[in-house]
Amino acid sequence: MIKITNLEKFYRTEEVETIALNKLSMHVDTGEFVAIMGPSGCGKSTLLNILGMLDDPDEGSYVFNDIEVAHFNERKRADLRKHNIGFVFQSFNLIDELTVFENVELPLIYTGVSAAERVKRVEEVLDKMQIMHRRNHYPQQLSGGQQQRVAIARAVVNKPKLILADEPTGNLDSSNGNDVMELLTDLNEQGTTIIMVTHSEHDARYSHRIIRLLDGQTVMENIMV
Amino acid sequence: MILNYLKTAWRNILSNKFYAAINVTGLTVGLVVGIFMLLWVQDELSFDRFNSKADNIYKVGIVGGTGLSKQIFSNIIAPVSTFAKNELPDVKDGVRIMAVGDAPFKYKDKVFYEDNFCFTDPSYFSVFDFPLIKGDKRNPFPDNNTIVITESTAKKYFGTEDPIGKTVIIGQNEPVSVTGVIADYPKNSSFQYRVMLPLSRFNYLAYIKNKTSYDGKTTVQSMDADWSSFSFQTYLLTKPNTKAAKLEKELQAIHERQKPEDAPVPYLTQPLPQMHLYQADGTDGGMSTVRMFAIVAVMILVIACINYVNLSTARSMLRAKEVSIRKIIGAGKFQLFMQFMVETALLFALAAAVAIALMFILLPYYNQFSGKQIALNITSFNVWACVVITLIGTLTASSIYPALLLSSFEPLKALKGKVTAGIGTAAFRRILVVLQFSVSVVLIVSTLIIGKQLKYVFTKDLGYDKENIITFNMRDDMHKHADAVMNELKKDPSVLAATVSSRNMVVGGSSTGNNDWDGKPKSSNLWFNQIHGDKNLIDFFKIKLIQGSNFTGVVADSSHFIINETAVKEMGLSGNVIGKRLRIQTINGTIIGVVKDFHFQNLHKKIEPVVFQYNPANSWRVYLKITNANAQRAIAISTAVWKQYNNDVPFNYAFLDDSYRRIYSDDSRQGQLFNIFSAIAIVISCLGLFGLATYSAQVKTREIGIRKVLGASVARIITLLAREFMILIALSTAIGLPVAWYAMNKWLQDFAYKTNIGWAVFAFAAFAAAAVALATISVQSIKAALANPVKSLRSE
Repeated sequence: MIKITNLEKFYRTEEVETIALNKLSMHVDTGEFVAIMGPSGCGKSTLLNILGMLDDPDEGSYVFNDIEVAHFNERKRADLRKHNIGFVFQSFNLIDELTVFENVELPLIYTGVSAAERVKRVEEVLDKMQIMHRRNHYPQQLSGGQQQRVAIARAVVNKPKLILADEPTGNLDSSNGNDVMELLTDLNEQGTTIIMVTHSEHDARYSHRIIRLLDGQTVMENIMV
Repeated sequence: MILNYLKTAWRNILSNKFYAAINVTGLTVGLVVGIFMLLWVQDELSFDRFNSKADNIYKVGIVGGTGLSKQIFSNIIAPVSTFAKNELPDVKDGVRIMAVGDAPFKYKDKVFYEDNFCFTDPSYFSVFDFPLIKGDKRNPFPDNNTIVITESTAKKYFGTEDPIGKTVIIGQNEPVSVTGVIADYPKNSSFQYRVMLPLSRFNYLAYIKNKTSYDGKTTVQSMDADWSSFSFQTYLLTKPNTKAAKLEKELQAIHERQKPEDAPVPYLTQPLPQMHLYQADGTDGGMSTVRMFAIVAVMILVIACINYVNLSTARSMLRAKEVSIRKIIGAGKFQLFMQFMVETALLFALAAAVAIALMFILLPYYNQFSGKQIALNITSFNVWACVVITLIGTLTASSIYPALLLSSFEPLKALKGKVTAGIGTAAFRRILVVLQFSVSVVLIVSTLIIGKQLKYVFTKDLGYDKENIITFNMRDDMHKHADAVMNELKKDPSVLAATVSSRNMVVGGSSTGNNDWDGKPKSSNLWFNQIHGDKNLIDFFKIKLIQGSNFTGVVADSSHFIINETAVKEMGLSGNVIGKRLRIQTINGTIIGVVKDFHFQNLHKKIEPVVFQYNPANSWRVYLKITNANAQRAIAISTAVWKQYNNDVPFNYAFLDDSYRRIYSDDSRQGQLFNIFSAIAIVISCLGLFGLATYSAQVKTREIGIRKVLGASVARIITLLAREFMILIALSTAIGLPVAWYAMNKWLQDFAYKTNIGWAVFAFAAFAAAAVALATISVQSIKAALANPVKSLRSE
């Protein structure tokens, strides 16, 4: 599903150039659950952003589903993104002014799904996330674990092929964190590819494979058994 | 989709009530004021345009006199219209109007006092769009004893009865019958005569029956043979594409052929739609005010828009997270752009609804204040066009930029709170603030200078006494017994002194170019303002005699003249002028005195030549000097005397100083309006500044936190935050002051006598702008400076 080759990304200020990704190559197959680990500043988030087409690489190739996307313009990337990729963040990133239902509904609105179909699909996914009873609440009225379940519901409502999770349990206590990891595992078992950035060895153990980064390069890959 | 946008927008407004309130308030105030002013402008510009032939109707005027005494007559002689119609192929028709003062109209036992009626040609009803709705269109006046009235006059006189054929008595004993009715005039018509009499009736009364004569020997046969009486408004209907300049030359040629001694007598033509706002010679009349209003209206709307743009871009930082999330989960740029457009539109709809409701509530006050009858007519296309265009214009101006800015955030950076909104946008916002405050500075300076000039006008020593004087005009019967009337009035202790004159001292009166004196240069065409009166006149008004002597009331005084200093100078005389020969019209006499110049006209005009003549017989206006304390008694006595002679007519008197103030009512109104405009502009600008200060404090939260940790005092941090704004205000002042100076110099040019502008006004305006701005931003600055640094650093 994903194949990147010699990917490079630099951050420049007037006087300093920082290399975030240094000729990084890796691949992820369809249906895999991959964890990316590494210390602060190793380039994990940069990699995730490029994988999620929120950012573009300076050099190298990124093939997504057999399409070279490294030099897509923003509009094309956005289009590809909204049909294929769902995001889960550490800080949930729900829109405060919208209810649970409306937050989950939003991606469907942007992809032009009809109103009736939207209700059906949102209810379906809220049910699955066991958050249906909170459908008319606003994010501030929910606990952290509930908020993250809403965020995951929003990420999967469009039935994306890939979910990118950036420290999904970082803001949660261990019990809620485990719930979220169980949810992601369920999704993976139903066929969704998942790439997750994490600091937590515990969380990483839910994945099939751990990619360890240091200074913008892959230093080790562990296959989980 | 739209529904979703609206929902989000509405919740955003609700969750940010404070900002929404500031925004809606700023917009509402701006819209109410802006729309009111634009409606006023629109109404002014629409005058007389409802006449379908307006573009081919010209008002004819004549230029008389030379030098200082040059003046423009907008009432001209009667024959011009007749000759033009007969001789000039371009002229299709002509209308003359002779407006008449006032008279009682009686129907059965009811008396109606009409002060706005006229004699006119039958073409009045066909050249202008005043068609008869009752009566014979082809022949509105079958004979000289007929009248045409307006619908509401008909209703007033006859109720629901059919007015046609009813007999009305004018004055004491002049029966006329109603032969036509026209619809009431539109409010934006310059013509508002409620009763029209045939001009041929005037011709009969003045020339055929009573025999007008200028030299006392020969008589003028008819008004069409009278080239001396400047009493008729004259309108010519021409063929399309007639050249005005050519028409003027042709009219001048006719006049000079018929009365060679008047040559040169330049003619002026003025298109009907310009009559309301321009003077006869094409210079600005009301147009300068209209222009000023339009400019100020747009300025206020622009300030309101800037305000919105500033506040919403300042707050865009806080929306960055939402924008990023939406982008990440699939929102396109256009979808986000539309979302923010909808949001602005919703806020605008709120502001517009409040504004329109407010306008309905404020309309009566506004009408009273602006001296205008604007109806917020729900069925009027023009009114709504004005409202809708203003709304769309301001909406567009204020929505596009914030929407573009917000929708262009890069989601990753925005999500991480790294949106600096760019140096570009900060500079843009600064420019907007400078623009706002420049406008405010201009308005503050204008307000101060207009106020200063008004004070100057109202306190200036005019060279004559206008305080504690009541005045009224005698009517026929009263004037016949003028001596008895004056004696009776003087007898009462409440009357300190009394005099009569032909002229209303503060308003104006007649003037003449028919004159001669020893040594009059051939090229001179000097006009004298004539003041007829009795022997008390000059003393009564405390006008200073600087040469010769006053009238004493002897018979010989009828050929004596007293002139003012300007007349001496304009006549080319110097030294002792007493005893010099002077002819005014048919009176050949001598100059017996010279008075110091005094302002008998308003201060917009330079002092012109004046001649005093002893002529109580032509003096219809009574002046009574009273004291403040006994004013009521003097009025009661005057009313009683009036009633003896004119029982039917209400007693109309005026205090001379009131009349004087009324001359400047336009100027005063401008002054008051400017007070309001500047207040509003400043309030709205401050809202914008407040927004920027808030933004600035937010952006610098971290910087302030670090500085505080390192030991900066609260005062230093306030200075840090305020400095940037003070620079902006200084810049605004630097831009605003020269603009204000230029604009106010132009405004003062309308006055022949004016106050000095002086530097103090500018200094005060600069200080006021700075003080108000400082007060506004200090709220935010102090709040930011007092904040706990631990909190602000943690939020990073």
